[in-house]
Amino acid sequence: MAKQLIALTVNGDPYEVAVSPHQTLLEVMRDSLNLTGTKRGCTAGSCGVCTVNGEQGEVILSCLALAVEWDGRSVTTVEGVEEGNELHPIQKSFLEHGAVQCGFCTPGLIMSAKALLDVNTSPSETDINEAMAGVICRCTGHIKVKKAIKEAASVLREREVNHGES
Amino acid sequence: MQLPQFEYIRPKSLAEGLAALAEHGDKIAIMSGGSDLLLNMKFRLEGPAYLLSLNGLSELQQLEKLDDGSLRVGAACTLTHLAEHTIIKECYPALRAAIFVVGSRHVRNMGTIGGNICLETRCWYTNQSKIWRDTREGCFKTDAEQCHVIKSAPKCHALNSTDSGPILMALDASVVLASHTGERIVPMREFYQNDGVEHTVLKPGEVLTAVVLPPAKGRSVFRKLSQREGLDFATGTFAAAVIGSNEQPESVSLVLGSVAPEPRVMPQAEKILLEGGLTDEAIDAAADVARRALLEVTNLFTPTFYKKRLIKVLVKDALLELRDQRVRG
Ligand SMILES: Cc1cc2nc3c(=O)[nH]c(=O)nc-3n(C[C@H](O)[C@H](O)[C@H](O)COP(=O)(O)OP(=O)(O)OC[C@H]3O[C@@H](n4cnc5c(N)ncnc54)[C@H](O)[C@@H]3O)c2cc1C
Ligand code: FES
Ligand code: FES
Repeated sequence: MAKQLIALTVNGDPYEVAVSPHQTLLEVMRDSLNLTGTKRGCTAGSCGVCTVNGEQGEVILSCLALAVEWDGRSVTTVEGVEEGNELHPIQKSFLEHGAVQCGFCTPGLIMSAKALLDVNTSPSETDINEAMAGVICRCTGHIKVKKAIKEAASVLREREVNHGES
Repeated sequence: MQLPQFEYIRPKSLAEGLAALAEHGDKIAIMSGGSDLLLNMKFRLEGPAYLLSLNGLSELQQLEKLDDGSLRVGAACTLTHLAEHTIIKECYPALRAAIFVVGSRHVRNMGTIGGNICLETRCWYTNQSKIWRDTREGCFKTDAEQCHVIKSAPKCHALNSTDSGPILMALDASVVLASHTGERIVPMREFYQNDGVEHTVLKPGEVLTAVVLPPAKGRSVFRKLSQREGLDFATGTFAAAVIGSNEQPESVSLVLGSVAPEPRVMPQAEKILLEGGLTDEAIDAAADVARRALLEVTNLFTPTFYKKRLIKVLVKDALLELRDQRVRG
């Protein structure tokens, strides 16, 4: 089938790339753009490791999104989370709490946590469960992940307060 | 898993989309959020030559209060959008509950209400990769005349797992089905069919464009039981809507989901509550009748006997909760 040229912005960088209709956003990012931070897991919507954030910062499963549908739109992947040369508080907190073991699910967890904390820096236990349920980690048991998210939330809350004062 | 190849059609208007559907007959598939369709294509259960995307059509993404107080919900509204919408939260809390337990936030951000209503039926045999399926004989959904779920059955018994279907039926909602020749309105109670292959009354060329919810009235409840709390299809769901008082209900609507290729209305159980009111005895009897009325149950992931027992508990538990809800106008 005829390829189509799409304009896709990833982490603020504009790309023009030729895609076939049957290619998923995940395939195009990994195989055409060489952005391999986003992982290819089940490719069936059930593991969440392919999670990226859409235009409103919402979580999207890139294995179930057609790349052609993202023409003219932008996404954020785990490669775009750091702030300057520093890791984002969520990333730091994941490292500090041992919420990363084999690391395969980590990009999906980070993007899901970011989608939550971007709009809610005081999440309840239920909020965290709800936001993270779509990503499965085989190693950590999710306990450390939750601790890491709570810690990152408090860092981000503090930042909001400081920001408010200045 | 990769998708099979297809030609992608993104219409600029609904009319253009309906024309494409009429032109391509059974060679075209409708995609809304794609969270179910694309998966089935990856599994090689579907291989349409053309794929019609509803995603650019803003006319299918509106929520509109009609003059008679009903709410018209565009088929392409995402589940997240609806679950967070004030009208849905305040006026249709049981629908909100049903939407909010679909998959995960990730799935709800992509999945739409139209796609959820039309969700393809599932079973342990077909919802596997093609390589896995090829090690066994086919079935009604693929290339043979048998059902792996209920052996010797004359038709497909794949399970209908839509979480929104049962409550939309209980609330007496309708769907608007459009084709290039016009529109028809079908009550949700008449939308499903007890056949896993042809599980809805949608005809080729038709698109579900909207769901119409009657003005909020009375009380309603939705329950879902699944093995995991998140990211799981239901083992069983139950939706009930009651108008009137506990002592003298004017109308009672009870629907079970995830038990068969269609959500099941339970007329005998409804009658017991209508005649007896929501007393302990009547609720108990209704739950019992609901269980016994389920003749064939799709034993997907859960043995039939367990599912039947579970249904009784589910129905009773939900009705007791409904009885305690404040009676609304
Ligand atoms: C991991 C995972 C978990 C899930 N968990 C649940 C769950 O718990 N409960 C549940 O109910 N579902 C679940 N689903 C299934 C699915 O994601 C949801 O039902 C979703 O709402 C489907 O909507 P969609 O817009 O993505 O549908 P699509 O994939 O776009 O469409 C689904 C089907 O409906 C047809 N269709 C879509 N829109 C229309 C229309 N407007 N007119 C006519 N036909 C149409 C399509 O052709 C297709 O056959 C899950 C999926 C995944 C991947
Ligand atoms: S790879 Fe997308 S959900 Fe598993
Ligand atoms: S760290 Fe290994 S799967 Fe999560």
